[in-house]
This record gives sequence, C-alpha cells and structure tokens, in this order.
Amino acid sequence: MTARYFARKFLALTATLYATVTFNFLLFHVLPGSPVELLARSGHYDAAARAQLVKLFGLNHSLIVQYVIYFNDLLHGNFGFSYVYRESVTTVLGSAIGNTVLLLGAATFVTVVVGVVLGVYAASKVRTATDTAITVLSLGAWSMPDFFTGMLVIFAFGVWVHWLPISGIVTPGLVTGFWGHLWDVSRHLVLPTLTLALVNIAQFSLITRNSLVEAMVEDYMLTARAKGLSRWVMLVRHALRNALLPVVTATALYVGMILGGAIQVETVFSWPGMGLLIYNSVEQRDYPVLEACFLLFAVAVILTNFLSDLLYHSLDPRVRRT
Amino acid sequence: MTIDDTSGELAPEALAPVGRRRTPLWLAVWRDRMGRGGVVTLAGVLALVLVGPVVFPFNAQSFGSSSASILQGPTGAHWLGTTELGQDVFRQFLVGGRISLYVGVSATVIAIVLGAGLGLVSGYYAGWRDSILMRITDFFLVLPTLPLIIVLAALFGQSILITSLVIGLTSWPQTARIIRSQVLSLRERPLVLRVRSLGARDGRIMRVHILPNVAPLIFANLALVLSGSILAQAALAFLGLGDPVQVSWGTMLHNAFNSGAMSEGAWWYIIPPGAGIVAMVLGFSLIGNCMDRVLNPLGQDAR
Amino acid sequence: MNLLEISELSVDYGVSGGTVRAVDHVSLFVQEGESVGIAGESGCGKTTVGLAVPLLLPRNATVSSGEIVLDGHSLVGRSEAEMNRLRWKSVAFVFQGAMNALNPVLRIDRQIREAITRHEPEVSKAAATTRVMEMFDFVGVSPTRAKSYPHEFSGGMRQRAMIAMALVCRPRLLIADEPTTALDVISQSQILALLNRLRRDQGLSLVMISHDLAAIKRVCDRVVVMYAGVVVEVGSSHEVLGTQGRRARAAHPYTQALIQAHPDLRGERTLSEGLRGHPPDLSTPLVGCRFADRCPKVMALCRTTPPPTTEISPGHLAACHLLSSGPS
Repeated sequence: MTARYFARKFLALTATLYATVTFNFLLFHVLPGSPVELLARSGHYDAAARAQLVKLFGLNHSLIVQYVIYFNDLLHGNFGFSYVYRESVTTVLGSAIGNTVLLLGAATFVTVVVGVVLGVYAASKVRTATDTAITVLSLGAWSMPDFFTGMLVIFAFGVWVHWLPISGIVTPGLVTGFWGHLWDVSRHLVLPTLTLALVNIAQFSLITRNSLVEAMVEDYMLTARAKGLSRWVMLVRHALRNALLPVVTATALYVGMILGGAIQVETVFSWPGMGLLIYNSVEQRDYPVLEACFLLFAVAVILTNFLSDLLYHSLDPRVRRT
Repeated sequence: MTIDDTSGELAPEALAPVGRRRTPLWLAVWRDRMGRGGVVTLAGVLALVLVGPVVFPFNAQSFGSSSASILQGPTGAHWLGTTELGQDVFRQFLVGGRISLYVGVSATVIAIVLGAGLGLVSGYYAGWRDSILMRITDFFLVLPTLPLIIVLAALFGQSILITSLVIGLTSWPQTARIIRSQVLSLRERPLVLRVRSLGARDGRIMRVHILPNVAPLIFANLALVLSGSILAQAALAFLGLGDPVQVSWGTMLHNAFNSGAMSEGAWWYIIPPGAGIVAMVLGFSLIGNCMDRVLNPLGQDAR
Repeated sequence: MNLLEISELSVDYGVSGGTVRAVDHVSLFVQEGESVGIAGESGCGKTTVGLAVPLLLPRNATVSSGEIVLDGHSLVGRSEAEMNRLRWKSVAFVFQGAMNALNPVLRIDRQIREAITRHEPEVSKAAATTRVMEMFDFVGVSPTRAKSYPHEFSGGMRQRAMIAMALVCRPRLLIADEPTTALDVISQSQILALLNRLRRDQGLSLVMISHDLAAIKRVCDRVVVMYAGVVVEVGSSHEVLGTQGRRARAAHPYTQALIQAHPDLRGERTLSEGLRGHPPDLSTPLVGCRFADRCPKVMALCRTTPPPTTEISPGHLAACHLLSSGPS
C-alpha cells in the first residue's frame, strides 16, 4: 500500500529530523567545550559583558528550557546571531544558500549524467581494456581530494590559460544587464562545477557499471536476447532499469559526499556559498553560523534520502506492495 | 548423482580446478592486475614516507637565509624547491606523509573496531538490540560526514590525536552495516545453529565461527575506510583545522594556498603533497576495490 | 524436409586453463510438426544444444564444428544482426520456470508486446495489445492480469506467460528448456497439457529439453538421450522410454539406468546402482565409451574404442558395444 508506505516513511523522516536537531543542540550547547560555554569563559569579556552573553544565549535557564527555546527559535526560522557579521544568521545565510544550491545543482547534473553514461559505456565494454581504463580512472578521480583538484584547475586556468574566471561568482565592478549578469555568473560557475563533478563522477560510473554488469547476466537478459531485441534496447530497457536501483540508493550517499566537497571547492574558488561560509566561520570561530550551516546540510541529506527512498519505491515494483 | 538436480547446465566455473574461495585474499589481490597496481603504488608511497625522513631528516627551524630562497623552484640544494618560509619542500613532504598516514591509520582502527564490533553484536543477537543499534547507525549514516568532522574539529581542537578520534568516531556506520548483514546470514548457518543449540557461549561462537568468516569483508572495508580517512584528514588540514605543529600533506597544501604559491606558479610546492595524497588513497582504493571484487564476484564475472 | 537439422555440432566452453567440449559432434533433426525431447542428467549438454540453435550461447562458448539448418537456412556463422531477425520469429524459447526469465521491473504485457513490435513493426500498438490479450486467454491466464508484474504471478502463471510470449510471433519452432522444472505437480501437468494442445491445434514443432522422462514421454514423439556431450540413443519416445513387462525397452545401458532411476516411471524414488558416480570430466581427453566408468555392463572394449551407432529398428539408434553384432 503506497499511502501506508508513505506515511511510515514520513514518520521516520520526522523522527530523524527531530533527532538531528537534538544532536545539533547537544553538540553546540551542552557538550563540554561547547561554543557558548567557551565564549562565556573567554577572557575577552569582562564580568558584565559575560553576564549579558549568558543572558543573551539563555545560559541562565535550565538545559530543558534552553532546549525548548532553541527548538522554538528554529521553528520560527531563527538561527541565532552571528558573532562576526553582527547580524542574524538567517541574514548571513541568505544569498549563500542560493549560491550553493546553484553550484550543487549544476555539479549534480553533470555528475549523474556523465557518471551514468560512463558506467553504461564501461559495462557495454565489460572486461576489455576500455572497461579497465574507465574503472582505474574513476578510482583515480575518486582518490583526488576535492580541494587539490580545485587547486590544479586553478593552476591550469590561472597560470597557463585564462579562458575562464577562477574566483568568485561575478566579475567585480562589471555592470551589465540581466543577460550580461547571467552570462558572467555562468562563466564563473563552470570551473567549480567541473571540479566538484570530476571527483564525484567516479561514484556513479562505478556503481552503474557494476550493477549493469550484474544485471546483464540475469536470466531475463537471455530472454531479451532470445527475443531478438537490439543490444541498445536490451541495455537500456531491460538492464538499465534494474541497474539504476542501486544508483538511486547511492544518491543519498552522494549528497553527503558532495556537501563535503562543496566546502572545499567553494573555499578554493571563493564561491560565496555555504561552504565558504563554513570555512570562514571555522576560521573566525563564528559558531552560530557554523551550527546553522551544519544543521541545514544535515537536513538536506535527510530530505534527499527520503526522496531517494520514494523514488526507489516507485521504480521497483517488487517493494511497492510491502 | 541426483537426477532431479535442477541446477542449470554445465557451469564452466564449477569445472575450474581451484575454488575461488580457497585462494587466500592477499594472493587473489596480488593476482589481479588492478590489485597488484594498488599494492605496488602503496608500497612505493610507504617506503618513501617511512624510510624517507630517516635518510633526509626535516628540520622545521632551518629557514631560508635570505628572501631569495623563499618559494624558490627546485635546485641542487632543494630538490623540490622551498616553502614560503624557505623550508625544504622535499624533506617536509617526506615527514608530512607520515602524519597523513598516522592519522589515517589510527582513525581507521577506531572506525573498524567500532563498526565491526557493533555490526557483529547487532547481527548476532538480532532482535531488539539489533533494532536499537541499527537505528543509531542509520542516524549517523545520514549525517554528512565531512561537515560533521569539520564541526567536531572546530569544537574540540586540532591535535592529531583529536583529529584521529573525530574521523574515527564518524566513519564507522558503513562498516557496521556491511558486517551486520553478513553476520545475519552467518548466524543462520547450520553449523552455527548446531553449536548454539549445544550451549556454546556467545563470545566463543562469535570468535570461532563468525569472526573468521567476516574477516575478509573487514579487510576489504578497512582499505576503503583508510582511503576515506586520509582524504578527510587532508580536507581538515587544508581548511586550517590541521595540527599546526605536526605538518601533514594537507597542511602543506593549506600553507601553499594561503601564501600565494598558486599565483607564484610554485608547482613544486603544490604537486608533491597532492600527488602523495592521491597515490596513498589510490593505493588503498585499488586494493579495497579488488578485494571487493574477489569477495563478491557476481558483479564482475560470468557470461 | 526437416524443419531443424543439427549435424555434427560441437560446442566448446573456454574455462580457466583450457576448453571443455560440452557438446561433441551431436546430430539430430526435427520434422515439421514434430516434437522431440532431449533427455539426460544435468551437465550432459542438452541446454547447450538448445541454446546453440538460435546462437544464444554464453560468451565463453564457441561452435567449433557442425551445421545448424533451420527451415533451409544455415545458421552457424551468421552475424548477431541477422540472427536477431530470425530469433523469436523462427525459433522461440521457453526458459526454465524457476529462472528469473521475465524482467522483474517491466509489466508482463509490455514484455510480450515488445516481441511483436520488434519483429512486426507494422502492427499498431492497439493490434499488438489485442494479440497479447488473445495469447493470455489462449494459455489460460485471465487477460485482466496482463498488466501485472512477474512477482505478482505464481510459478505456473509465469510459465504460461512465458509460453504466451514465445508464441506471440508465431514461431516455426519452439524450444522449451525444462518448462516444468520447479513447478508444483498440478502446474506441471497443466503446462504439459498446454504444450500438447499447442502441438495438436497449431501444429507447432517443439524441442523439449528435460530431465523428466515422464514429461518427455507425454509430450514428445521422439527422444534424444544425451550423455556427457554425445547422443547415446535416439528413437520414438514410445519405444525408448516404454517398458515391456518390467523391462525397459531402451537399448543403451545409460537410458535404462535413467528410466530405472526415474520416480514417475518406476513409482519409487530409488537411484539405480548403475547411476552411481558422476559424468566424466570433459576437460580431459576421453577414450572409448564415455559411460564406461558407470556402466554396469562394461567390457574391456568399452574403455578403448568409442562405440559405433547401431540401428535397432527403423529410427531407433543407440551407441553401445553390446549392440554391435559380435566383437568388431
């Protein structure tokens, strides 16, 4: 029953989200060495200022009350106050979220399309030199730290050729209309996107290849061949549909990976997104911003997991009735 | 010979003289082209990193005497040039690899012990213990690992000990999942059921009948967790969360990036530590990938 | 003229450390409208012969000698593209019921329809759908279930759907590989009845590969008994699988042993003394009769010389030294 399945999944989603928020609270507000405690003990502040801080962060309340206040604030979209920017975290996050979504969206598109195509190609050449080469190259790309790949790309495009911008999201001081702006942003988007995609393509190409190879020796593939279907129809209609199921599962893992990658790539390319924000708040110990970014990242992964579960469910008729 | 044997036709694999399972794992890895490539790559890196610093000791205090020796390209005296502080890149590279390896290995040990232990207990006892443990595992599985590691490192500190702990304590869920599902099927084996019904102690059954059977799986996982840990450490160090005293490859790249080595075109400062990380991670990945294929040949062989 | 004529067919499998000849100079024929069974233990090469006809052998297998002539067309050596046009149209396959022969993520009607659209692209989708429904009706599955997924069907229904799929392009020849294996007794009987009805009503030519001698006897006009990659006995199934009093009428000791070991023909599920042991290892060169090691009536001659084929009665042939008139 689909409705019941959905209800069950939704309940699990709610529970996980709740656990995440609680985990976040524990991490930043309760554990010894938590930022607020550090701040309150910090020598930078005199007694009066410290007392004010304690009050501002509600440390004078019991943990339970703090927890309730924290929870209530979150529900109202209040992530606290940035030490560094002297603004509400929500304001600080504002444009960064959009920029990160843009980068991740572009990178995911490239990653999935190229990864799956490469995997299908490798599987169609299974156990040939091409197949081995694709596997080795994929593992090689996987072994590159995102930031190092970014540095190499910057090296190539900053030192040798100057085809594309290597830093930021717009050319400073460039005043153009809407289309000009769009073109400018697109040009800035290319290198960070490719860097992020390059490292993550491997994951998709390897999984696609392996599950396709697995699917190709299934009995129903012999039936398909006996029916006289063309190689392409066999591969796409019969094998790929089965092989994509593990790929869908891998997406959840991928999101966790690419968020880690985004922090590095945004740092290297000075892309003003949440990754760069995390880097800056780590450097300046701006904990409220760090906390908000981590919470949003975690929620993003959890939601993607939920969606990939639903997608899997709709793709595989065998699990649809459970 | 049973006549109602329905198992297909002549299976060429069945006729192969040696069963796949009988070959020891390390030998199977060595026979595989990619596996051997991984072993050779790794052996090279390890030799460089473990023996190198003995032959070419690094002295952090030996700064360049003049500004001319800062970010200087390779020369006879400095084979891989100098850093922004005028230190010898080659010698720092050799020492830095040790730190990367050290953190990677200790984090992996923590992750594997935790993951395999939890997986073993969870899969063996099944029931409510399994449910609770797997809920917790799934929760940590969905948390984005690197952001979590960054947050923890930012909160708790940057010494290599804390870095190892942080990476180790966040990298176990996948291992726990894999080991658990294997143990779940092992515990239903007739032999285990019989030994159990005879009243053998759980600890002994796990040690004698279960652990040896999941050991190859643990090894395959070990290689993959290792490469992940080394990458995580590198990312932390690059983001400025590395141990400032114990310079690793990631720290070198952090220093290079922030000292303008990129715009100076100081490739000698960037390529060696980066290539070191890639080679080390690739070595472990190739071996892990190969073990995976040996243990689970379905995806690779047949027809 | 024979619809299918296989002559001197040999198939080699490449395995680590050499090749294994799974089928060794096998010859057999199927006449128009005739039904022929291939019997033998698993591993004797019967499925390989079946798969060889539409050239569906696994990658590590090669046809190293022989001819396969189907409806006047020689098949060996044809390209994959040429074969694709002949497959299902000239020769369709029904795979073992226990197998995962239907794609689990596609609806069954679509899997059947795609055979029509592949071979008769001029047929409209509506017409193809009608034909699929008719086929469902014909094999005894309610057409309302056509849009199901394979896992929603029982084993017997899946096998009926498989037969519907095999018949939808009106093939000249149907090859059924263990069509009743792994089905319950009632489904087995129903599937056999369905195959018999197809033969009677549609004049279908059939090759049925099975280790189930009772099934072969029920459906097939003639039977080919294979052992270790060679044909040991051929004849009308009535004659080869029949009994005379308590004695089997089969001429070859292997066939006799098979019949005696068979529960449905003897009532009891006891393995005959003669069938102890395993078929020989095909990766080593074999001298003499391949059954010699397990044969209860083995003679010195059997271990040195391959047995000649002897005609016992018109159409009934067997390869055994016991049948040769006097020591040759």
